[in-house]
Amino acid sequence: MSWQRPDGPASRGGAPRAAASLRLCLLALALGAGLPAAAQQSYPLLGAAAPNFALRAANGGNVRLSEHRGEVVVLSFWSSRCYPCRAQLAALSRSLATYRSAGLAVYGIGVDDDPGQSQDFAHSVTVDFALLLDPTKVVSRSYQVDNLPMTVLIDRNGTVRYVLRDYSAASSGLYLQQLRALLNE
Amino acid sequence: MLQPTFPQAPPAGRSARAPRAATGVRLLAAVWALASALALAAPPAAAPPAPAQSSAPASAVAPAATAPAPAPGAAAAAAAPASNPAPGEAPAETRSLDEDIQGLKKDVVDLNKDLFILEEELLFPANTQVAVFLSVDVGDFFALDSVQLKIDQKEVINYLYTPREVEALLKGGVQRLYIGNLKVGPHELVAFFNGKGPNDRPYKRGASLRFEKGVGAKYLELKIDDRQRKLQPEFEIKDWE
Repeated sequence: MSWQRPDGPASRGGAPRAAASLRLCLLALALGAGLPAAAQQSYPLLGAAAPNFALRAANGGNVRLSEHRGEVVVLSFWSSRCYPCRAQLAALSRSLATYRSAGLAVYGIGVDDDPGQSQDFAHSVTVDFALLLDPTKVVSRSYQVDNLPMTVLIDRNGTVRYVLRDYSAASSGLYLQQLRALLNE
Repeated sequence: MLQPTFPQAPPAGRSARAPRAATGVRLLAAVWALASALALAAPPAAAPPAPAQSSAPASAVAPAATAPAPAPGAAAAAAAPASNPAPGEAPAETRSLDEDIQGLKKDVVDLNKDLFILEEELLFPANTQVAVFLSVDVGDFFALDSVQLKIDQKEVINYLYTPREVEALLKGGVQRLYIGNLKVGPHELVAFFNGKGPNDRPYKRGASLRFEKGVGAKYLELKIDDRQRKLQPEFEIKDWE
């Protein structure tokens, strides 16, 4: 493999292709490393007041966000057709069990058009927090949900501080790191 | 959010512009007081204790001398480092500063209240204002879940109640459910109450009222009461004349 720039017809062949593929790999790595930061920066609600809402829970009762001022609130948007959402909700339930006493509140918000589907999904998932229904998508629109699962972290002052647009081992670690930072404030 | 307040009509003979002008003057006065107090409070905190003739306290007193009507507490705070430089006097300074801070906090709260009133007066002038309140009495036969409100066949609000809000209402709170503007003339208000009735069964009832909107503000109240004889809840819309 040559690291020199090809400067003649003789140099055309496998070397430039290898160099090009190497550059592509490096670009992909750079993009992969920069994605979480880019996702954070591109969310317009970061640093803004979290839009207030009142929604019905799947198991009955209503929830209003403004009543949780003073607590760190995690909102996770899910759908019954989203496969990773189920695993993410389970992970959020575990984090709630750990940090509830430190002032953490977690809510899942279902964005299915059909409330029946959301109800079925909610009954099939075992979590320690309320799963809210947003069939009209008023709340998901106000939070500009563009990917599922999407998790929004709101600090004790009601300001949107972090957003996670996927669920993986890496994002799960990042979530816990951000959550601890907010709880310690 | 629950706002357990009772509406108060503006006093008779008081025009709409007079309170606005008075509020504006009060706002300006509060802003000026805040600015002057901040300017006076800063030098003692920043400058170290100095002799009486040093330049720092003199500069701190200067704005107070040029100001038209300085606050007495703030002036005392500014003069304190000049007249009492000894370390033993520090608690007095701290106390004075603390009083100033408390005064500033009170001014901010008053300012916020005035701004809120001003905003309401601008958004909902008294001649078109309609406010709907909700109260619950007893609540043994009905657990409130939501209220849908329609004025002239148009839905104006659909409010979901959380357990905390229901608890506040049961303790005697009155919620201002809706405030808006309506033109003078006849109107119809329809309210649908959703919740759980006797034996925890889903319960939905409606109530309506035709009312005449006059020149002044209109206040209506949705009352949820228990009818003991029938063991049923009762829904009533009351027009506050």
